[in-house]
Amino acid sequence: MGIPLNIDWQQILLHVFNFVILAGGLYFLLYSPVKKFMAKRDEHYRKMDSDANEKLASASALEKEAQARLDNVEDEIKAKRVKAEEELDKYSALQMQAANDKADKIIADAKKAADEERQTILSGADRDIIDMTKSLAAKMVHASTDAAFGQFLDIAERDAQNDK
Amino acid sequence: MSKKRKIISLAVWLGLVFASLIGVLLTNGLESHESIREIMRDAVLHESNKISLFGIMEVNPAVISAFTVTGILLLFALIVRIFVIPKFKLIPGKFQLLLEQLVQFFDGLAKSNSPHRNGFLGAYIFAAGVYIFVGTIFELFGLQAMTTHGFPMALPAPLSDINAAIALGCMSYIIILSGGIAGNGLKGVGQTLKDFSLPISMSFRLFGALLSGLLVTELVYYYTSLSFVLPVVVAVLFTLLHALIQTYVLTMLTSLFYGEVSEVHEPKPKKKKAAAKAN
Repeated sequence: MGIPLNIDWQQILLHVFNFVILAGGLYFLLYSPVKKFMAKRDEHYRKMDSDANEKLASASALEKEAQARLDNVEDEIKAKRVKAEEELDKYSALQMQAANDKADKIIADAKKAADEERQTILSGADRDIIDMTKSLAAKMVHASTDAAFGQFLDIAERDAQNDK
Repeated sequence: MSKKRKIISLAVWLGLVFASLIGVLLTNGLESHESIREIMRDAVLHESNKISLFGIMEVNPAVISAFTVTGILLLFALIVRIFVIPKFKLIPGKFQLLLEQLVQFFDGLAKSNSPHRNGFLGAYIFAAGVYIFVGTIFELFGLQAMTTHGFPMALPAPLSDINAAIALGCMSYIIILSGGIAGNGLKGVGQTLKDFSLPISMSFRLFGALLSGLLVTELVYYYTSLSFVLPVVVAVLFTLLHALIQTYVLTMLTSLFYGEVSEVHEPKPKKKKAAAKAN
Protein backbone atom coordinates (compact mmCIF):
# COMPACT_ATOMS: atom_id res chain seq x y z
CA MET A 1 0.00 0.00 0.00
CA GLY A 2 3.05 2.21 -0.22
CA ILE A 3 3.48 2.71 3.56
CA PRO A 4 7.04 2.16 4.77
CA LEU A 5 8.04 -0.84 6.91
CA ASN A 6 5.46 -2.95 5.07
CA ILE A 7 2.65 -1.54 7.19
CA ASP A 8 -0.65 -2.84 5.83
CA TRP A 9 -4.00 -1.62 7.15
CA GLN A 10 -5.74 -4.82 6.15
CA GLN A 11 -3.29 -6.87 8.17
CA ILE A 12 -3.59 -4.50 11.12
CA LEU A 13 -7.34 -5.00 11.01
CA LEU A 14 -6.85 -8.75 10.79
CA HIS A 15 -4.76 -8.59 13.96
CA VAL A 16 -7.41 -6.41 15.63
CA PHE A 17 -10.13 -8.88 14.58
CA ASN A 18 -8.06 -11.74 15.96
CA PHE A 19 -7.37 -9.98 19.24
CA VAL A 20 -11.00 -8.95 19.78
CA ILE A 21 -12.07 -12.59 19.39
CA LEU A 22 -9.33 -13.69 21.77
CA ALA A 23 -10.11 -11.03 24.36
CA GLY A 24 -13.85 -11.80 24.34
CA GLY A 25 -13.28 -15.54 24.51
CA LEU A 26 -10.75 -15.31 27.31
CA TYR A 27 -13.01 -12.97 29.25
CA PHE A 28 -16.05 -15.25 29.10
CA LEU A 29 -14.22 -18.56 29.40
CA LEU A 30 -11.45 -17.82 31.87
CA TYR A 31 -11.20 -14.36 33.40
CA SER A 32 -14.80 -13.83 34.49
CA PRO A 33 -15.48 -17.34 35.92
CA VAL A 34 -12.20 -17.40 37.84
CA LYS A 35 -12.82 -13.91 39.19
CA LYS A 36 -16.37 -14.80 40.18
CA PHE A 37 -15.14 -17.89 42.00
CA MET A 38 -12.51 -15.87 43.82
CA ALA A 39 -15.08 -13.24 44.80
CA LYS A 40 -17.40 -16.00 46.05
CA ARG A 41 -14.62 -17.52 48.11
CA ASP A 42 -13.68 -14.10 49.51
CA GLU A 43 -17.30 -13.59 50.49
CA HIS A 44 -17.38 -17.04 52.12
CA TYR A 45 -14.27 -16.33 54.19
CA ARG A 46 -15.45 -12.81 55.03
CA LYS A 47 -18.73 -14.27 56.31
CA MET A 48 -16.84 -16.87 58.31
CA ASP A 49 -14.68 -14.13 59.75
CA SER A 50 -17.63 -11.94 60.68
CA ASP A 51 -19.44 -14.93 62.22
CA ALA A 52 -16.35 -15.78 64.23
CA ASN A 53 -16.02 -12.15 65.35
CA GLU A 54 -19.67 -12.09 66.37
CA LYS A 55 -19.25 -15.29 68.36
CA LEU A 56 -16.08 -13.94 69.90
CA ALA A 57 -17.84 -10.74 70.91
CA SER A 58 -20.76 -12.72 72.33
CA ALA A 59 -18.39 -15.01 74.24
CA SER A 60 -16.51 -12.01 75.55
CA ALA A 61 -19.74 -10.39 76.74
CA LEU A 62 -20.77 -13.65 78.40
CA GLU A 63 -17.38 -13.92 80.06
CA LYS A 64 -17.70 -10.37 81.38
CA GLU A 65 -21.17 -11.10 82.62
CA ALA A 66 -19.99 -14.29 84.31
CA GLN A 67 -17.08 -12.45 85.87
CA ALA A 68 -19.41 -9.75 87.15
CA ARG A 69 -21.68 -12.42 88.56
CA LEU A 70 -18.75 -14.13 90.23
CA ASP A 71 -17.71 -10.83 91.72
CA ASN A 72 -21.22 -10.24 93.15
CA VAL A 73 -22.00 -13.82 94.02
CA GLU A 74 -21.48 -13.39 97.81
CA ASP A 75 -23.81 -10.42 97.97
CA GLU A 76 -26.23 -12.18 95.72
CA ILE A 77 -26.20 -15.30 97.89
CA LYS A 78 -26.75 -13.19 101.00
CA ALA A 79 -29.58 -11.31 99.38
CA LYS A 80 -31.11 -14.52 98.15
CA ARG A 81 -30.83 -16.07 101.62
CA VAL A 82 -32.56 -13.10 103.20
CA LYS A 83 -35.18 -13.23 100.52
CA ALA A 84 -35.61 -16.96 101.01
CA GLU A 85 -35.95 -16.53 104.79
CA GLU A 86 -38.51 -13.81 104.27
CA GLU A 87 -40.41 -16.01 101.89
CA LEU A 88 -40.17 -18.92 104.32
CA ASP A 89 -41.52 -16.76 107.17
CA LYS A 90 -44.29 -15.54 104.97
CA TYR A 91 -45.09 -19.08 103.93
CA SER A 92 -45.08 -20.43 107.47
CA ALA A 93 -47.26 -17.53 108.60
CA LEU A 94 -49.65 -18.31 105.82
CA GLN A 95 -49.59 -21.98 106.79
CA MET A 96 -50.28 -21.11 110.42
CA GLN A 97 -53.06 -18.82 109.40
CA ALA A 98 -54.54 -21.53 107.23
CA ALA A 99 -54.24 -24.09 110.09
CA ASN A 100 -55.87 -21.69 112.52
CA ASP A 101 -58.64 -20.95 110.10
CA LYS A 102 -59.12 -24.63 109.52
CA ALA A 103 -59.19 -25.33 113.28
CA ASP A 104 -61.66 -22.51 113.85
CA LYS A 105 -63.79 -23.84 111.10
CA ILE A 106 -63.70 -27.36 112.55
CA ILE A 107 -64.62 -26.06 116.00
CA ALA A 108 -67.40 -23.90 114.58
CA ASP A 109 -68.70 -26.82 112.54
CA ALA A 110 -68.55 -29.09 115.57
CA LYS A 111 -70.37 -26.52 117.67
CA LYS A 112 -72.95 -26.08 115.02
CA ALA A 113 -73.41 -29.84 114.72
CA ALA A 114 -73.66 -30.20 118.49
CA ASP A 115 -76.22 -27.41 118.67
CA GLU A 116 -78.22 -28.99 115.92
CA GLU A 117 -77.96 -32.34 117.66
CA ARG A 118 -79.08 -30.85 120.96
CA GLN A 119 -81.87 -29.04 119.24
CA THR A 120 -82.96 -32.23 117.59
CA ILE A 121 -82.73 -34.11 120.89
CA LEU A 122 -84.58 -31.36 122.72
CA SER A 123 -87.34 -31.20 120.17
CA GLY A 124 -87.57 -35.03 120.33
CA ALA A 125 -87.73 -34.87 124.13
CA ASP A 126 -90.48 -32.21 124.05
CA ARG A 127 -92.54 -34.36 121.75
CA ASP A 128 -92.00 -37.37 124.04
CA ILE A 129 -92.95 -35.30 127.09
CA ILE A 130 -96.12 -34.07 125.39
CA ASP A 131 -96.96 -37.60 124.36
CA MET A 132 -96.23 -38.90 127.83
CA THR A 133 -98.28 -36.06 129.39
CA LYS A 134 -101.07 -36.73 127.03
CA SER A 135 -100.94 -40.38 127.79
CA LEU A 136 -100.70 -39.71 131.51
CA ALA A 137 -103.59 -37.24 131.36
CA ALA A 138 -105.58 -39.70 129.40
CA LYS A 139 -104.75 -42.42 131.85
CA MET A 140 -105.51 -40.15 134.71
CA VAL A 141 -108.79 -39.11 133.14
CA HIS A 142 -109.63 -42.66 132.37
CA ALA A 143 -108.71 -43.81 135.88
CA SER A 144 -110.66 -41.02 137.56
CA THR A 145 -113.69 -41.63 135.37
CA ASP A 146 -113.58 -45.32 136.13
CA ALA A 147 -113.24 -44.63 139.87
CA ALA A 148 -115.99 -42.01 139.85
CA PHE A 149 -118.25 -44.34 137.89
CA GLY A 150 -117.49 -47.16 140.38
CA GLN A 151 -118.00 -44.82 143.22
CA PHE A 152 -121.23 -43.62 141.64
CA LEU A 153 -122.29 -47.19 141.16
CA ASP A 154 -121.36 -47.95 144.77
CA ILE A 155 -123.21 -44.94 145.97
CA ALA A 156 -126.14 -45.75 143.78
CA GLU A 157 -126.16 -49.34 145.00
CA ARG A 158 -125.81 -48.21 148.49
CA ASP A 159 -128.65 -45.72 148.04
CA ALA A 160 -130.70 -48.40 146.45
CA GLN A 161 -130.09 -50.67 149.30
CA ASN A 162 -130.84 -47.89 151.70
CA ASP A 163 -134.07 -47.23 149.93
CA LYS A 164 -134.96 -50.72 150.25
CA MET B 1 27.57 -34.45 45.99
CA SER B 2 29.34 -37.83 45.94
CA LYS B 3 32.61 -38.35 44.10
CA LYS B 4 30.99 -40.63 41.54
CA ARG B 5 28.35 -38.03 40.65
CA LYS B 6 31.00 -35.37 40.32
CA ILE B 7 32.93 -37.50 37.83
CA ILE B 8 29.73 -38.20 35.82
CA SER B 9 28.81 -34.49 35.71
CA LEU B 10 32.31 -33.56 34.58
CA ALA B 11 32.23 -36.24 31.86
CA VAL B 12 28.85 -35.01 30.58
CA TRP B 13 30.02 -31.42 30.51
CA LEU B 14 33.23 -32.33 28.66
CA GLY B 15 31.22 -34.45 26.24
CA LEU B 16 28.95 -31.47 25.45
CA VAL B 17 31.95 -29.20 24.93
CA PHE B 18 33.60 -31.64 22.54
CA ALA B 19 30.38 -32.39 20.73
CA SER B 20 29.74 -28.71 20.11
CA LEU B 21 33.33 -28.20 19.01
CA ILE B 22 33.14 -31.10 16.57
CA GLY B 23 29.83 -29.74 15.30
CA VAL B 24 31.40 -26.35 14.71
CA LEU B 25 34.31 -27.90 12.78
CA LEU B 26 32.14 -30.24 10.74
CA THR B 27 29.63 -27.59 9.70
CA ASN B 28 32.21 -25.05 8.70
CA GLY B 29 31.30 -23.74 5.21
CA LEU B 30 27.63 -24.85 5.29
CA GLU B 31 25.62 -21.70 4.90
CA SER B 32 22.15 -20.75 3.73
CA HIS B 33 21.37 -19.97 0.12
CA GLU B 34 19.91 -16.65 1.30
CA SER B 35 22.23 -13.91 2.42
CA ILE B 36 22.09 -12.66 5.98
CA ARG B 37 20.89 -9.33 4.64
CA GLU B 38 17.92 -10.94 2.89
CA ILE B 39 17.00 -12.95 5.97
CA MET B 40 17.22 -9.93 8.24
CA ARG B 41 15.22 -7.79 5.87
CA ASP B 42 12.52 -10.41 5.55
CA ALA B 43 12.41 -10.91 9.29
CA VAL B 44 11.76 -7.20 9.73
CA LEU B 45 9.52 -6.42 6.79
CA HIS B 46 7.95 -9.78 5.78
CA GLU B 47 8.03 -8.66 2.18
CA SER B 48 8.94 -11.81 0.35
CA ASN B 49 7.46 -14.66 2.41
CA LYS B 50 3.70 -14.61 2.42
CA ILE B 51 1.23 -17.30 3.48
CA SER B 52 -2.20 -17.90 2.04
CA LEU B 53 -5.05 -17.35 4.52
CA PHE B 54 -7.52 -20.10 3.57
CA GLY B 55 -7.00 -19.14 -0.08
CA ILE B 56 -8.74 -15.79 0.50
CA MET B 57 -5.69 -13.55 0.63
CA GLU B 58 -1.96 -13.54 1.12
CA VAL B 59 -0.92 -12.49 4.60
CA ASN B 60 2.26 -12.12 6.60
CA PRO B 61 3.22 -15.25 8.54
CA ALA B 62 2.54 -13.37 11.78
CA VAL B 63 -1.18 -13.28 10.96
CA ILE B 64 -1.23 -17.06 10.75
CA SER B 65 0.75 -17.16 14.01
CA ALA B 66 -1.78 -14.82 15.62
CA PHE B 67 -4.74 -16.96 14.56
CA THR B 68 -2.95 -20.10 15.69
CA VAL B 69 -2.15 -18.58 19.10
CA THR B 70 -5.76 -17.43 19.46
CA GLY B 71 -7.02 -20.90 18.52
CA ILE B 72 -4.72 -22.58 21.02
CA LEU B 73 -5.61 -20.15 23.80
CA LEU B 74 -9.36 -20.36 23.22
CA LEU B 75 -9.24 -24.16 23.08
CA PHE B 76 -7.26 -24.20 26.32
CA ALA B 77 -9.71 -21.75 27.92
CA LEU B 78 -12.68 -23.83 26.78
CA ILE B 79 -11.22 -27.03 28.23
CA VAL B 80 -10.44 -25.25 31.49
CA ARG B 81 -13.94 -23.73 31.61
CA ILE B 82 -15.67 -27.08 31.06
CA PHE B 83 -13.48 -29.47 32.99
CA VAL B 84 -11.51 -27.49 35.56
CA ILE B 85 -13.43 -24.43 36.76
CA PRO B 86 -16.57 -26.34 37.89
CA LYS B 87 -14.28 -28.43 40.12
CA PHE B 88 -12.62 -25.47 41.80
CA LYS B 89 -12.16 -25.91 45.56
CA LEU B 90 -11.99 -23.45 48.43
CA ILE B 91 -8.46 -24.64 49.13
CA PRO B 92 -6.94 -24.54 45.65
CA GLY B 93 -4.78 -27.17 44.02
CA LYS B 94 -1.67 -26.35 41.98
CA PHE B 95 -3.37 -25.70 38.64
CA GLN B 96 -6.22 -23.75 40.22
CA LEU B 97 -3.67 -21.68 42.10
CA LEU B 98 -1.84 -20.95 38.84
CA LEU B 99 -5.04 -19.77 37.15
CA GLU B 100 -6.05 -17.70 40.16
CA GLN B 101 -2.61 -16.12 40.38
CA LEU B 102 -2.75 -15.25 36.69
CA VAL B 103 -6.14 -13.58 36.97
CA GLN B 104 -5.25 -11.95 40.26
CA PHE B 105 -2.01 -10.54 38.86
CA PHE B 106 -3.72 -8.65 36.04
CA ASP B 107 -6.72 -7.74 38.17
CA GLY B 108 -4.40 -6.43 40.88
CA LEU B 109 -2.38 -4.49 38.30
CA ALA B 110 -5.56 -2.84 37.04
CA LYS B 111 -6.79 -2.11 40.56
CA SER B 112 -3.51 -0.68 41.81
CA ASN B 113 -3.02 1.61 38.79
CA SER B 114 -6.62 2.59 38.30
CA PRO B 115 -8.39 2.17 41.65
CA HIS B 116 -11.49 4.14 40.65
CA ARG B 117 -12.31 2.31 37.38
CA ASN B 118 -10.81 -1.06 36.57
CA GLY B 119 -13.37 -3.73 35.60
CA PHE B 120 -12.91 -3.48 31.84
CA LEU B 121 -9.23 -2.62 32.13
CA GLY B 122 -8.52 -5.83 34.06
CA ALA B 123 -10.17 -7.96 31.38
CA TYR B 124 -8.27 -6.15 28.62
CA ILE B 125 -4.80 -6.36 30.13
CA PHE B 126 -5.46 -10.01 31.03
CA ALA B 127 -6.14 -10.81 27.38
CA ALA B 128 -3.28 -8.62 26.12
CA GLY B 129 -0.83 -10.04 28.64
CA VAL B 130 -1.70 -13.64 27.88
CA TYR B 131 -1.58 -12.93 24.14
CA ILE B 132 1.85 -11.27 24.27
CA PHE B 133 3.33 -13.95 26.53
CA VAL B 134 1.98 -16.97 24.70
CA GLY B 135 2.54 -15.32 21.31
CA THR B 136 6.19 -14.76 22.13
CA ILE B 137 6.69 -18.24 23.55
CA PHE B 138 4.96 -19.60 20.45
CA GLU B 139 8.07 -18.76 18.43
CA LEU B 140 10.03 -21.37 20.36
CA PHE B 141 7.90 -24.23 19.06
CA GLY B 142 8.91 -23.53 15.46
CA LEU B 143 5.63 -24.60 13.88
CA GLN B 144 6.09 -24.86 10.14
CA ALA B 145 3.95 -23.25 7.46
CA MET B 146 4.21 -23.24 3.67
CA THR B 147 4.80 -19.92 1.95
CA THR B 148 3.06 -18.99 -1.28
CA HIS B 149 6.37 -19.66 -3.04
CA GLY B 150 6.31 -23.21 -1.75
CA PHE B 151 9.04 -22.90 0.86
CA PRO B 152 8.51 -24.08 4.42
CA MET B 153 9.12 -21.55 7.14
CA ALA B 154 8.87 -21.46 10.93
CA LEU B 155 6.00 -19.32 12.14
CA PRO B 156 7.30 -16.24 13.96
CA ALA B 157 5.91 -14.56 17.06
CA PRO B 158 2.77 -12.62 16.06
CA LEU B 159 4.11 -9.41 17.54
CA SER B 160 7.37 -9.56 15.61
CA ASP B 161 5.28 -8.22 12.71
CA ILE B 162 4.93 -4.47 12.91
CA ASN B 163 1.26 -4.69 11.88
CA ALA B 164 0.45 -6.79 14.95
CA ALA B 165 2.39 -4.44 17.20
CA ILE B 166 0.60 -1.42 15.72
CA ALA B 167 -2.74 -3.17 16.18
CA LEU B 168 -2.07 -3.90 19.85
CA GLY B 169 -0.57 -0.46 20.50
CA CYS B 170 -3.52 1.31 18.90
CA MET B 171 -6.03 -0.90 20.69
CA SER B 172 -4.36 -0.10 24.00
CA TYR B 173 -4.57 3.58 23.14
CA ILE B 174 -8.25 3.28 22.27
CA ILE B 175 -8.86 1.50 25.57
CA ILE B 176 -7.07 4.32 27.40
CA LEU B 177 -9.17 6.84 25.45
CA SER B 178 -12.37 4.99 26.40
CA GLY B 179 -11.29 5.13 30.05
CA GLY B 180 -10.78 8.89 29.70
CA ILE B 181 -14.23 9.35 28.19
CA ALA B 182 -15.88 7.14 30.81
CA GLY B 183 -14.13 8.89 33.67
CA ASN B 184 -13.97 12.53 32.58
CA GLY B 185 -15.98 12.91 29.38
CA LEU B 186 -14.53 15.46 26.97
CA LYS B 187 -11.85 16.44 29.44
CA GLY B 188 -10.72 12.79 29.43
CA VAL B 189 -10.51 12.86 25.64
CA GLY B 190 -8.29 15.91 25.90
CA GLN B 191 -6.11 14.26 28.49
CA THR B 192 -5.70 11.18 26.31
CA LEU B 193 -5.05 13.08 23.11
CA LYS B 194 -2.36 15.04 24.94
CA ASP B 195 -0.33 11.81 24.89
CA PHE B 196 -0.80 11.36 21.15
CA SER B 197 2.61 9.72 20.80
CA LEU B 198 1.49 6.89 23.07
CA PRO B 199 0.19 4.49 20.40
CA ILE B 200 3.35 4.95 18.34
CA SER B 201 5.67 4.49 21.29
CA MET B 202 3.72 1.48 22.56
CA SER B 203 3.59 -0.17 19.16
CA PHE B 204 7.22 0.37 18.30
CA ARG B 205 8.44 -0.58 21.76
CA LEU B 206 6.64 -3.88 21.47
CA PHE B 207 7.75 -4.41 17.90
CA GLY B 208 11.35 -3.42 18.58
CA ALA B 209 11.67 -5.57 21.67
CA LEU B 210 10.29 -8.67 20.02
CA LEU B 211 12.07 -8.04 16.74
CA SER B 212 15.43 -7.70 18.43
CA GLY B 213 14.98 -11.18 19.87
CA LEU B 214 13.94 -12.50 16.51
CA LEU B 215 16.88 -10.88 14.73
CA VAL B 216 19.42 -12.20 17.16
CA THR B 217 17.92 -15.67 16.90
CA GLU B 218 17.91 -15.45 13.10
CA LEU B 219 21.52 -14.31 13.20
CA VAL B 220 22.53 -17.17 15.42
CA TYR B 221 20.69 -19.73 13.32
CA TYR B 222 22.05 -18.31 10.07
CA TYR B 223 25.54 -19.44 10.95
CA THR B 224 25.11 -23.14 11.38
CA SER B 225 28.33 -23.28 13.30
CA LEU B 226 26.65 -21.26 16.04
CA SER B 227 23.62 -23.55 16.13
CA PHE B 228 24.97 -25.77 18.91
CA VAL B 229 24.28 -24.99 22.56
CA LEU B 230 24.20 -21.23 21.93
CA PRO B 231 20.56 -21.12 20.64
CA VAL B 232 19.40 -22.54 23.94
CA VAL B 233 20.85 -19.57 25.78
CA VAL B 234 19.73 -17.11 23.11
CA ALA B 235 16.22 -18.53 22.98
CA VAL B 236 15.88 -18.28 26.74
CA LEU B 237 17.30 -14.77 26.86
CA PHE B 238 15.49 -13.27 23.92
CA THR B 239 12.26 -15.16 23.96
CA LEU B 240 11.33 -16.07 27.51
CA LEU B 241 12.62 -12.87 29.05
CA HIS B 242 11.10 -10.76 26.31
CA ALA B 243 7.83 -12.55 26.72
CA LEU B 244 7.78 -11.73 30.40
CA ILE B 245 9.15 -8.22 30.16
CA GLN B 246 6.98 -7.08 27.26
CA THR B 247 3.87 -8.57 28.84
CA TYR B 248 4.55 -6.61 31.98
CA VAL B 249 5.55 -3.40 30.19
CA LEU B 250 2.51 -3.15 27.90
CA THR B 251 -0.03 -4.12 30.54
CA MET B 252 1.61 -1.85 33.09
CA LEU B 253 1.72 1.13 30.74
CA THR B 254 -1.85 0.61 29.59
CA SER B 255 -3.19 0.40 33.14
CA LEU B 256 -1.06 3.34 34.28
CA PHE B 257 -2.28 5.66 31.53
CA TYR B 258 -5.83 4.34 31.87
CA GLY B 259 -5.78 5.14 35.58
CA GLU B 260 -4.34 8.59 34.92
CA VAL B 261 -6.89 9.70 32.34
CA SER B 262 -9.93 8.11 33.97
CA GLU B 263 -9.30 9.60 37.41
CA VAL B 264 -12.02 12.09 38.26
CA HIS B 265 -10.51 15.40 39.38
CA GLU B 266 -12.37 17.66 41.74
CA PRO B 267 -12.93 21.12 40.18
CA LYS B 268 -10.65 23.74 41.71
CA PRO B 269 -12.46 26.45 43.68
CA LYS B 270 -12.41 29.80 41.89
CA LYS B 271 -10.18 32.20 43.81
CA LYS B 272 -11.90 35.45 42.79
CA LYS B 273 -15.33 34.32 43.83
CA ALA B 274 -14.02 32.89 47.05
CA ALA B 275 -12.22 36.14 47.84
CA ALA B 276 -15.32 38.19 47.01
CA LYS B 277 -17.42 36.04 49.28
CA ALA B 278 -14.88 36.46 52.07
CA ASN B 279 -15.08 40.24 51.69
